[in-house]
Amino acid sequence: MTTNGAPYAGQSLIDTSIFTTLQSKIDEESTVRDELKEIVDKLSKQGRTTQSILSRIHNVPSQSVGTEVLDPCMKALEEQRNSVSSLAEAASKFPFYKYNFVWQREIQNVVSSFQLWHWLSSGKLKSIEEVGEYFRGEFAILFAPTVPVNVKDADTFHITIEDYLLALCSTIEELARLATNSVTLGDHARPLQISKFIKDVYAGFQLLNLKNDALRKRSDGIKYSIRNVEGVVYDLSLRGLVPKDEDTMKME
Amino acid sequence: METKDTSESTSPFIGVFEGFKAELDEHHDRRERVIKASRDITAFSKKVIFALQRTKDIGKPLTDKRALGDVTKLKEQIKETFESVAADLQDINAYRYQRNISGGIQEWMEAVLFEHYLQTQSIMTHEEAAKKIPTDIMLTYEDYALGLFDMTGELMKIAITYMATNGKLPGKNGGSSVLTDMQIMRTQLELMDAGGSYALGRDFEGKLKTTRASVEKVEASVYGMTVRGKERPPGWKPDLDSGPRQGEEIESY
Repeated sequence: MTTNGAPYAGQSLIDTSIFTTLQSKIDEESTVRDELKEIVDKLSKQGRTTQSILSRIHNVPSQSVGTEVLDPCMKALEEQRNSVSSLAEAASKFPFYKYNFVWQREIQNVVSSFQLWHWLSSGKLKSIEEVGEYFRGEFAILFAPTVPVNVKDADTFHITIEDYLLALCSTIEELARLATNSVTLGDHARPLQISKFIKDVYAGFQLLNLKNDALRKRSDGIKYSIRNVEGVVYDLSLRGLVPKDEDTMKME
Repeated sequence: METKDTSESTSPFIGVFEGFKAELDEHHDRRERVIKASRDITAFSKKVIFALQRTKDIGKPLTDKRALGDVTKLKEQIKETFESVAADLQDINAYRYQRNISGGIQEWMEAVLFEHYLQTQSIMTHEEAAKKIPTDIMLTYEDYALGLFDMTGELMKIAITYMATNGKLPGKNGGSSVLTDMQIMRTQLELMDAGGSYALGRDFEGKLKTTRASVEKVEASVYGMTVRGKERPPGWKPDLDSGPRQGEEIESY
C-alpha cells in the first residue's frame, strides 16, 4: 500500500460508542424540548386569544370595559393559568435554565396580559409575588406544581425578575397606546392616570443598573411611552379638557 | 430625562425596584466573574495546546523541558481559575451561566482530549473528561463534543509537522494512523444529527466544515508523501496546494 513500507492498517483505538452516546444525549434533550414545546404552543395559542380580547380596550368605552373586556379576558387568562401549571409541572423535572428559552417569551406575554388586566381592573401594579401567586392556580396547591418567583436555591420552574420586568415593559407600551385611544373614546381622565402610573414605574426602572441586554432596550422604550402620554395630557390641559377631580394630580 | 424628580421621590415602586436592583447587580457580577474566568481558561488552554504540539511522537510523553514546565504551570492556573468561579456555577446557576463558561470549557476540553490522544491514541470518554474539571462544575455533552471537534484541528497540525520532519505519519508501527483516526472521527461526526440540541445546533455545521477541511489537509499531505516521498530532501515541507483537491481556508498550522 504505502511505498515506504509503513502500514497504518492497525486497529484504531477510537471508541465509536462515544459518538452514539453523544447522539443519545442530543436525542434525549430534543424529546424533552418537544414535550415542553407542546405545552408552550398551547399557551401561545391561548395567549393570542387573551391578547385579542384585551386589544378591545382601544375601542370600547371605559364604562363598558368591565363586561366587554375584563370578564371574558379573565376566563381566557384562567385557561392560560392552567397551561402555566402544566408547564411548571413538566419543566420542574429539568434544570430550569437549560430549557427556559422554550417558554420565556410566552411566560412574559401571559404575565404582561395579566398585569394589564389587573391594572384595568384596579389601576394598581401587581408585584412579582402576586403574579406568582396568581399563576399558582386554584388546584395547583393541592398537587405538586407551584409557580414560585425568583427562585435562587431550588432548581424549579419559576417566573424570573427579568420575565416580570420585560412583561411590565409590554404592559406600559399598551397603556401608552390606550392613553391616546381613551381620549378618542371620550375618557379624559384615563391619560392622567396612565401618565402617573408609567412615570412611577419608570422611576423604578431608573434605579436599575442595566447592561446592554434586552431589558435595557425594552426599558429605554418607556421614555417614548412617557413622552407620548405627556403629549396627550398636554393637549387635554391646553384645551381645558382635564376632568376637575383630576386637577389635583401633578401636572407638568 | 423628562421625568421630574418629584415623581421619582414619590414613586410607590421604589422599594420593590431596589430589591430588583440588588438581585440584578448580583446576577451581573456573577456573570462577569464567570465570563472573565472563561476567557482566562481559554487563553491558558490555548497555551497548553501550543506546548503539547511539541510532543515528539504519539504514544511518547512530552519531553521538551520548557513545554513540560509550561503545561504543568498552566494546568494549575486552569484548575485555580475554575475553582474561583465554582461557587457561581452551583445548582440552578449551573445552567444559568453555562453559556458564559462554555467557551473556556470547550477550549480546555480540546486540550484535555488532545493530550489524551497524544498519549493513548484514543478519545477520552465524557465521563473521564468530566474529571478534568472540578467535580462541582458541570461538563455538558455539548462542550465535550465541541472540544472534540476542535481537537481534530490539532491532530491535523501535529500530523503535518511530524510528516515534514520524519517523512511518515506519527504513531507506532502497526498501529492505526492519525489519518485513519481522523477519518473515523469525521465519519462519526457526520453521522450525528445535532439538530436536537440547542447548544450544539448553533455551531455544529461550522465546526464540521473545519473538521472536514482538517482531515482533507492531512489526506493531501499523506498522498503527497506517498507519491513523492522518496524524492524529497530532509526538511521538505509537504506542499498542500498540490494535493488532489481544492484546499479550503482553515486555521494555519
